[in-house]
Amino acid sequence: MGFRSYLLRRLVYAVIVLFVILTFNFVLFRVMPGDPEKMIIDPNFTQDAKAELRRQYGLDDPPLTQYKNYMSALLRFDMGLSFNTRRPVWSELKERLPNTITLFLVTFISTAAVGISIGVYSAANRGRFTEKFVVGAGLFAHAVPGFFVQLLLLLMFGYYWPILPIHGTMSAPPPDGAFAQFLDRVWHIILPAGSNLIMGFGSWALYTRNTMLEALGQDYIVTARAKGLPKRDILYHHALRSVLPPIVTLIFMSLPGAVSGAVITESIFSWHGVGRYLLDATLQLDYPAAQGAFYLIALAVIISNLLADIAYGLVDPRIRVGAGGTK
Amino acid sequence: MPRKYRLILALALTVALAIGAAGLPGAAAVKYEDWGPHVDEIIMPIIKDQQARRIAFERGESVVWAGLTQPTDIDHAKTLPYADMRMTLGFHMFYLCFNMRRGPLDAQPLRQAVAHAVDRDNIIRTLFKGYMLPMTSFVPQVSPFYKKDVPVYAFDLKAAAKVLDDAGYKLDATGKNRIDPKTGKPLPDMKIFTPTYEVAPTSAELGKMIADSCQKIGLPVKPEPMDFNVMLDKLDIGEFDMYCLAWSLSKNPTHLYNFFHSSMDVEAGYNRPGIRNPELDKAVEELWYAGDLKTVKSGADKAQAILAREMPYVPLYSRPYIDAFRKDMVTGYVDMNGFGAASYNNPWTLLNIRRVDRFGKAIEGGTIRWLLSEEPKNLNPAVASSAYEWEVLNKIYDGLTVSHPDTLEDIPWMAEKWDVGTWEPQPGKKGTTITWYVRKGIKWSDGMPYTAEDIKFTIDYLKENKIPRYLSSTAEINKVELINKYTVKVYFDTVSYWHIYNASLDFLPKHIWQNVKDWKTFQPWLEPHPTIKGYTKLVGTGPFMVKEYRPGEFVRLVKNPNYWRTKPTR
Repeated sequence: MGFRSYLLRRLVYAVIVLFVILTFNFVLFRVMPGDPEKMIIDPNFTQDAKAELRRQYGLDDPPLTQYKNYMSALLRFDMGLSFNTRRPVWSELKERLPNTITLFLVTFISTAAVGISIGVYSAANRGRFTEKFVVGAGLFAHAVPGFFVQLLLLLMFGYYWPILPIHGTMSAPPPDGAFAQFLDRVWHIILPAGSNLIMGFGSWALYTRNTMLEALGQDYIVTARAKGLPKRDILYHHALRSVLPPIVTLIFMSLPGAVSGAVITESIFSWHGVGRYLLDATLQLDYPAAQGAFYLIALAVIISNLLADIAYGLVDPRIRVGAGGTK
Repeated sequence: MPRKYRLILALALTVALAIGAAGLPGAAAVKYEDWGPHVDEIIMPIIKDQQARRIAFERGESVVWAGLTQPTDIDHAKTLPYADMRMTLGFHMFYLCFNMRRGPLDAQPLRQAVAHAVDRDNIIRTLFKGYMLPMTSFVPQVSPFYKKDVPVYAFDLKAAAKVLDDAGYKLDATGKNRIDPKTGKPLPDMKIFTPTYEVAPTSAELGKMIADSCQKIGLPVKPEPMDFNVMLDKLDIGEFDMYCLAWSLSKNPTHLYNFFHSSMDVEAGYNRPGIRNPELDKAVEELWYAGDLKTVKSGADKAQAILAREMPYVPLYSRPYIDAFRKDMVTGYVDMNGFGAASYNNPWTLLNIRRVDRFGKAIEGGTIRWLLSEEPKNLNPAVASSAYEWEVLNKIYDGLTVSHPDTLEDIPWMAEKWDVGTWEPQPGKKGTTITWYVRKGIKWSDGMPYTAEDIKFTIDYLKENKIPRYLSSTAEINKVELINKYTVKVYFDTVSYWHIYNASLDFLPKHIWQNVKDWKTFQPWLEPHPTIKGYTKLVGTGPFMVKEYRPGEFVRLVKNPNYWRTKPTR
């Protein structure tokens, strides 16, 4: 099987998966306990008003009609109006996506860069203090709840030593001038991204260290050493290269985080992102908002998987060949 | 002294002690002006995290830390030398509800015994460190319709046991459970539904405390915390024994009709206890369809007396409004009964608040920061539904009437007066009419005159479009007649004292909204004003206008240059 047919098959799978996810997305909210109009608990909001609200939400239609409307709208990328805010879901998501993507990218790049570097370094210095530190820090970061670390940082740099802003992505009001505004945004991202870095670098470091240690024990590394290659060449050109495919997968699998957001970080630092939006929509049974956000996340996951498959196929020919037998 | 008065006195003392222990001042003598505002700009940063809000207050990034509910927060705020703690009674009611549709709680003595087994003082002391007010009435104490002299079931386990013994609920051989005299069998387990410990820890613990207390008198009551939506579904279909939840009420006792009239005992209706009592129906109908205040009071009094006897709910406590202000930064905030000094429903603080200099002297103008705890999301007044949206919108709209901060009496505002009358919608049938006489010289924030035409337009628009939020207000409006530019008459199909509130709709400027094609998707704060550069279509009559709204970041309000009440001579 060639790379093209491998790719085509992956695409067909992706479309099927998307269809199944969207269907589940529709069914799940309707079988959940509660009704959107019941979330309005107000003695002056009459039964007639609730019935009218149901009609306007389109929840009076038969389920099949609702499903058809939902699928055809999503195919047109029309996510409808939020029950809660009566604003177009896509407009609301568009407001939040840049913040979520920015926070994700800064966090992801810094976490991956720091984590992989430390992982490689500790694998190369096995048994030394660095390795012990990495293992300890990694485990500690995993064990301590994220919100606790974030609240501590908030208290430390927002209250006791108040040098950093404690909420939002910009000052209220922001300073004048593009460069001043850029610096203002950088200043605001330090705490949320920094806390994510503290909590996240450990897992990257541990994973890289473990895979590197396994690679460093392989025969071809022994051969390379026997050939007298410099340690640096062995580490980066041979060992690290061989562990890249799983790390690449990890990178691609992390990408959906760019649209799904980080609920706790967004809540603690009042970051206007998709994560908190999704949580609120789910809790308030805001079907269109939650469906829209899940649709976006599903697309991101599927595209990331597809990219991971492609990347895997590119870096490791055995995969595209092995799946279909012999070439 | 009769027992019920001793109990009321005891409760009042408990409250006073709780407040005294807390070191909070009671509502101070109200000093306010009826004009303003005295600041040029309000910046409202959006801070969602509770701890971040506390830090923001301490960093001076907000002049107020509003709506304090956690005892730890209140205790902490009290230690801050620059914090001025304000407390006022509220319209909140936390209650235990019985299902009266089915046994065994259809029996009045059983409900009365449970009421006697509820130790409000202990609940308030244990769970809230005294920062709640014990509540025994079906109308909040702060409401002008509150009736004092109704029977009260004080915490008394012996009295509870006696009520049960007298009604024939004898203890079984084990002495742990009581026999139901109707069936001759031990009473079945009765569950108290509450939200889960994760969602509402105090509610869940409170359910347990009541259950423990009931078990001491031989009632097999068990707490059952559950998912909130599952709980609501069960309540809607009447599948429960007891549950604990809260209501946010108002100064008017109309909730007595919504909660306890037999016509409201339908699936998902608000008569959750399922009480069907002809005497009560008559009383709540009297208050609902009353033509004047005297009849309302009479109906409300009768209803409260019947409810105190029938006990469909056991009212438990009411949460007061506690706010901390930075007295080193601002002054002039006004305590308002039922709402608190920092509430968005309190127009007096908005008009009177002003900055202070470093010597504590009030100064005119300048900017204050007042944080928002959530995103306002939608600033279209036709669809805005949450308190966070009205926190902003109430600053840019004024009403035809306004409530007095102390007495809560309706006083003229944009309407200089109003008449209440009747007419015949059909031969032999009477309906209420409300005539508004609008003050001359009021302008919308874009400079266009505000007239009676805007009132007529608003009511007609809301009614024609069946806008759900206002359906209950417009449902019984028959027509709106424009008498002249400053006089408008609203005709209702029925007679009701409450129609004055239903007719009080005036927030849609005709010159803007007459061109709105779809009210659902209209985003007035984003669309540019048709004639004035730099303005948006979010046009109001209130003291402020929205200058800038950055979603997720802040709302910036500036003084409305066309505000009508900027001088004391008005």
